[in-house]
Formats: sequence, C-alpha cells, structure tokens
Amino acid sequence: MTSRAAFLDGARDIAGLVPGVAVFGLSFGALIRARGIDPIAGATSSLIVGAGAGQTAAVEVVVAGGTVAIAVLSALIVNARFALYSAALAPMFGRFSRPWRWGLAYLISDQTVGLYGRGQERWTTPALQQFYILGITAPMRTAWVGGTAAGILLGPVVPGAWQIGVIVPLMFIALAIPGIRGLPELVAAVTGVVAVVALKDLPLGLNIVAAALLGMTAGLLVRTRGTTPAGAGLAQDAPAPAAPRDSADSA
Amino acid sequence: MSIWLVFILAALGTYAIRISGIALFHNEERIPPHVRRALRMIGPAAMGAIVGNSLLLDHGSWRPFGAWHIAALVALAFAAWKRNLGLTLLAGAAAFAALLALGV
Repeated sequence: MTSRAAFLDGARDIAGLVPGVAVFGLSFGALIRARGIDPIAGATSSLIVGAGAGQTAAVEVVVAGGTVAIAVLSALIVNARFALYSAALAPMFGRFSRPWRWGLAYLISDQTVGLYGRGQERWTTPALQQFYILGITAPMRTAWVGGTAAGILLGPVVPGAWQIGVIVPLMFIALAIPGIRGLPELVAAVTGVVAVVALKDLPLGLNIVAAALLGMTAGLLVRTRGTTPAGAGLAQDAPAPAAPRDSADSA
Repeated sequence: MSIWLVFILAALGTYAIRISGIALFHNEERIPPHVRRALRMIGPAAMGAIVGNSLLLDHGSWRPFGAWHIAALVALAFAAWKRNLGLTLLAGAAAFAALLALGV
C-alpha cells in the first residue's frame, strides 16, 4: 500500500464529479470576459480563492457597482459554509502533519466532505489518508482553474447575443438545490430570492448581502424538531458522513 | 486595480474560513448548535439571493419574463431530479440556446 495508490484511489472516487466542475469553470471564465473583468485576475481568482460560488458573487457585486468591501463580504458570506466542512474534517486533519493540514485545507470543496469518510475507511494511517485527500481535492482545483482559463480564452468567441450572464442563475440553481434537504433550507433559499428582489433599490449590491442574512434568519426560525436529517445541506453529491448524529441541532 | 484587491481579500478570507474549523474545533460537535445551524442556512440563503438578483432583476429593474426564466425552470427541474452540477448547467444552457434559436 503506497501513497501513490492512495492518491489514485481518491482521484478515481472524484473522477465522476470533475467534468461538472470543468463545465462550471468554463462558464465562469466566459462570464469573466463577458463582464469585462481583467482575465488574468479572473484566472488567478480560481487558483487563489478556489470557490466558484463566492467568486461569482464577488464579480456580480463589482459589476453592479459595489465597493471592494461589499464584493468581498458577498464572497465570504457565500463561502461561510466552508467553516462547517472545516470543522467536520478537523478530527481527520488533526492527525496530519502541519504542512499537509494547512495545505489540504486550502483545497477543501463541497465535494471533499462527501468523500473523506471513504478514504478514512480504506486508508488506515494519516500518512496515506493525506494522499487520498490530495487525490480527491487536487483534480477538482485543477479542473476548476483549467476550466476557467479555457473559458477565458474561448470567451471572446462567444457572441454578445448569447447573453452569457444567464449562466449565473443556472450555476447557482445547480449549486443550491442539492443543499436543500429540508424545510429550513428551503425557507432560507426562498426568502433569499424574495428579499433580494424586495430590496432591489438598495445601492452597491447590498441587496445580496441583506437578503442572504434575512434568508438565514428565516431558515433559523423554522422549527426543525426531530425532522432535520443529519448533515443536511453539507455535501452536494453524497449524503454527508461529516455531520452524523447532530441531535443538538434539533434541540 | 480594485478587482485584484477583491480577489486577494476574498482568497485570504476564504482560506481563513477553510482553516477555521480545523484550527478552532476538534470536531463539529464543539461548534455551538445555533452557530452550526446558522452556517447551514447561510448557503441556501445566499445562493437564493444570487439567483433572484441575477434572474429576476436586470440592472436593478424587473427582467421581462422570457428565455431566462424558462431556462432557469429547466435547470431547476434537472437539479431536483439529478442533483448533478454539470448536468444541470448543460441542461439549462441547452434550453436557453434552444429558446434563443426559436426567437423567444
């Protein structure tokens, strides 16, 4: 059993999800060009931010004339869910060496949380688990950056009449729906939609931040006693083994 | 260049979020329940807000009903059915392209 085998095992597990991320990257790259964003900055953002939803949120605020602070805040609000993933991965990552722990944290994605449990079962030592996690994360980030770069290069080919901006609602529908596993998430999402329209006259793209917070509050107000499935909303493509038995959630 | 500043700050903030749980908590059970619930709600809420803003509005006013909305409904149906990111995007984009070709 080698580190190479662990890496390849992870890469095989994630392979089915890589094309979707590449398509998402292509769309984001094309959007960067359509919105007139500096292409080098756009491509770099996929490498350094590495979170498509947050990057798109920031771009939309910038295009709407928002300030740097509001654009960054929008991105961070959309990315706040990573704090949950991070906590879920903490017991496993805590046994990794420091450079691996800090390096792999940079690559955490929605899909990491859906798969890490399989790696934990199959690979028994932290040294091998590190390579499994690298195997499920590195291909995703590579596809994301590669897709973005390809989209940026192809972007100028796309005629303006194609209205590439339609990709934004499509992307977020694709991202949001798998996370809606119960009534609280549904209420949060629907409130977000309604509030952002109701608050459309707020300046500087502030309506997105305000609507996100209102939607969160509405979701929290929904009674979930005993009905919320464990790990609801955590992973996109698999039931999350990350957050089992959270009885405290319904207390 | 403010766009560089936006992306660099977003990168730093996002990394801080990604390392936060690993650095602060030994495991998810240590997060106070209400914080955990809030974190769980904020994703759907923020994404709903972005869908509403980009689909229903166009530069701050209502977008007239048309191909955008129909393509979004197609994507919605695919997302609920397949729960697959790439497939949902392709279905929505294909529907939109077909609608444009039909002159909707």
